Amino acid sequence: MFRKIAILATALLTALPASAEEIHLKMWTLVDRDTPYREQNIVDAAKVLNAEYKAAGIDKTIVIDVNRGNQKGWDAYALDMLKAFAVKQGPDIYTLPHEWIGKFAENGYAMNMEAAIAARPWAFNDVLPNLWESVRASDGKIHGVPQDAEIRMFFYNKDMLRKIGKDEAFIDGLPAAVERGDFTLDDLTALAKEVKDKGAAEYGMLHRPNVGIDYLMVFKSFGVKFVDPKTGKLMLPKKEMQNALAWYETNAKEGVTPIDNTAMSWDAIKTAFKQEKAFIFHQGVWAVAWQTGDALGVSWPKDEAGYTHKIGWLPAPAAVKGGKPANLSHPIIYAINPGTKYPDVAADLVAIATTPYFNVRHAVISNHTAITHAETALPAYKANWVVSLASPMMEGADFVPNNPQFSDYNKVLFTGLQAVETGKMTAAQAVGFIADELDLQLGDAVEIHDSAAE
Amino acid sequence: MSQAFVPVRCRRARPALFLAPAASLLLLFFLAPIVIDVGIAFTNMGESLKVTAWTLKNFDRILGADRMIPLILLTTFLYVTATLFFFNVGLGVVLAITTTAVSDRLGALFRGIWILPRMSPAVIYALLWIWVVDSSPQGLLNQVVTGIFGLAPLNLRNDHPLLVIILANGFVGASFAMVVLTSTIRSIPEHLFHAARVDGASEWSVLRFVVLPSLKGPVWFITIYQALSLLVTFEYILLITNGGPVYDSTTYALYVYRRAFEGGHYAYGAALAIALMLFGVCFTLLQWRLFGDGMNRTRPRIEVL
Repeated sequence: MFRKIAILATALLTALPASAEEIHLKMWTLVDRDTPYREQNIVDAAKVLNAEYKAAGIDKTIVIDVNRGNQKGWDAYALDMLKAFAVKQGPDIYTLPHEWIGKFAENGYAMNMEAAIAARPWAFNDVLPNLWESVRASDGKIHGVPQDAEIRMFFYNKDMLRKIGKDEAFIDGLPAAVERGDFTLDDLTALAKEVKDKGAAEYGMLHRPNVGIDYLMVFKSFGVKFVDPKTGKLMLPKKEMQNALAWYETNAKEGVTPIDNTAMSWDAIKTAFKQEKAFIFHQGVWAVAWQTGDALGVSWPKDEAGYTHKIGWLPAPAAVKGGKPANLSHPIIYAINPGTKYPDVAADLVAIATTPYFNVRHAVISNHTAITHAETALPAYKANWVVSLASPMMEGADFVPNNPQFSDYNKVLFTGLQAVETGKMTAAQAVGFIADELDLQLGDAVEIHDSAAE
Repeated sequence: MSQAFVPVRCRRARPALFLAPAASLLLLFFLAPIVIDVGIAFTNMGESLKVTAWTLKNFDRILGADRMIPLILLTTFLYVTATLFFFNVGLGVVLAITTTAVSDRLGALFRGIWILPRMSPAVIYALLWIWVVDSSPQGLLNQVVTGIFGLAPLNLRNDHPLLVIILANGFVGASFAMVVLTSTIRSIPEHLFHAARVDGASEWSVLRFVVLPSLKGPVWFITIYQALSLLVTFEYILLITNGGPVYDSTTYALYVYRRAFEGGHYAYGAALAIALMLFGVCFTLLQWRLFGDGMNRTRPRIEVL
């Protein structure tokens, strides 16, 4: 009896296929209902690889464990991830706002991708060349791969301009006037004030309530350089900084921007713009997703003609007449943990997710611009009027510095912005405050100059 | 007979055994964090949690370079003294006296109402405050201000953030003193009131010579206990104003938190926290020195039945 059972068991065991090797990879990103493909593209890339393994008779299965962080924003997410890495609990693959790559690379949490990129030309050769600048760390090497691209802009409500008696030529000519440098930031303030004073809007201009990057466009327009091109160090040009802050100060004093804009909730701000209580809102092209969505109480036209009849887009106008407007792009990137057990598999997954077929799904659903040339030719991309319309604004787009300490700088800058808007400091005082704080926090890592030209 | 010594050895072991749970909790949650905090304060730990050097730089910053500190200390002083004086003690005494002076049912009802803010979750309580002082004309306060008084809408959270956090904390804090002092007043023997009235004492005299003397001890306890608790807690401030605008309603404890966790300057936050710990220890020692260890355990001077 025993022998029979033993034979049967042996037969069964040999009949069962040997269990496949499972390759577990942790993939982390920030939760966002509008951008499910940031993580899903990696998951689907794993399916492609698994199919290839199967076809080739390789006994491996890749399993992606996705973790969607519920932090308040990208900066909080990045800080938490730094903590996770510090206790060796970091993910294998993760998304990151590009300006953090410096800090992650410096700490050895983001793999040098140059060899991996060179080995996978089929995926990476077609990536828009200027996007690679956004993933370069302070060692001059590429430590990530652009996951998407976008463009920041001022959204303005054309219906309100019609209400206050502006003609169509003026309304539709605004972007061109901004491009030429004829229409300045001060003109924008004056226009917003006119709209508000004539009762067409409750708020003239709204911006984000927390630290971010869109307001940096305005600083760029005023000639603020955050990095000294000669030394590569962070810098604070006081004169230009004061001019930029003075613009925000004026907006608040004139009632164009509410003094407690920075204390408002995101919901309140978006709702004010959507329900046509605010004339101008400053965000990125992907905001069209919620603008044309059905949330926030009202519905707007979803088609190109209807939307563009109602809403217009502007880069940050020049600070002085004849100057250049400023554009800013803020790619999210993929990075790989150098400590991962499977660097090649991770790089393959990122490469597959970068190919047009996968990336276009993210681009069109979340209104992000293409990261490869080929992507723009795909029918799905062409059919999305939002990204097609935004693509030309990518020309001349700049990025925020990838300096590891820029996030500290930006937080201080935002506090200064809040101080002038709330009337707690004048622009001159705020520059003094920013200089003190930068000196305190960053010490020698930041150069403080009287002006950018110095 | 010699066997009788064995239990003695057991008895010696027992205190340690009985103290072990409490001692280990103290060690784990009080002493260990202090030791870790002091350790971190002497490092350069930043966002990445890496320590590459031992340094005194954080203390240099606190003592000289950080120009926010005088403002933060002033804010903390105003916040603690105003909340304590007007609400946690002042309003608490008033509530205890008034709710014990009216009928029991009515008194209980009012005490119940005043205890509601303490019972409700901090986040909900804070949200209610945000709605009350909302700067739009639809805010509760502004409906009163504009609708009834015909004034311009107020924006308290921006213009007087310190006032908002004092009020918000005060309305929560008053209930503690109210409960403690109510039971103190209740424990005054009834016949003292009767005796005073027979002697022709007015209501004021009863209050002045019978009630208030009995409150002295508990009021001291409440003052010190609540002062320490106001110094180290900041959840309502964080939720209602986030310490802003800028740093205008940032008290010292919140400043420690903001430096450490908003900016990721953990070592600097740890160094700042040492000052808070030192202050707490000194304050407690001072209290012992002034009132003695038995402050709350002295024999009552009134007769307790």
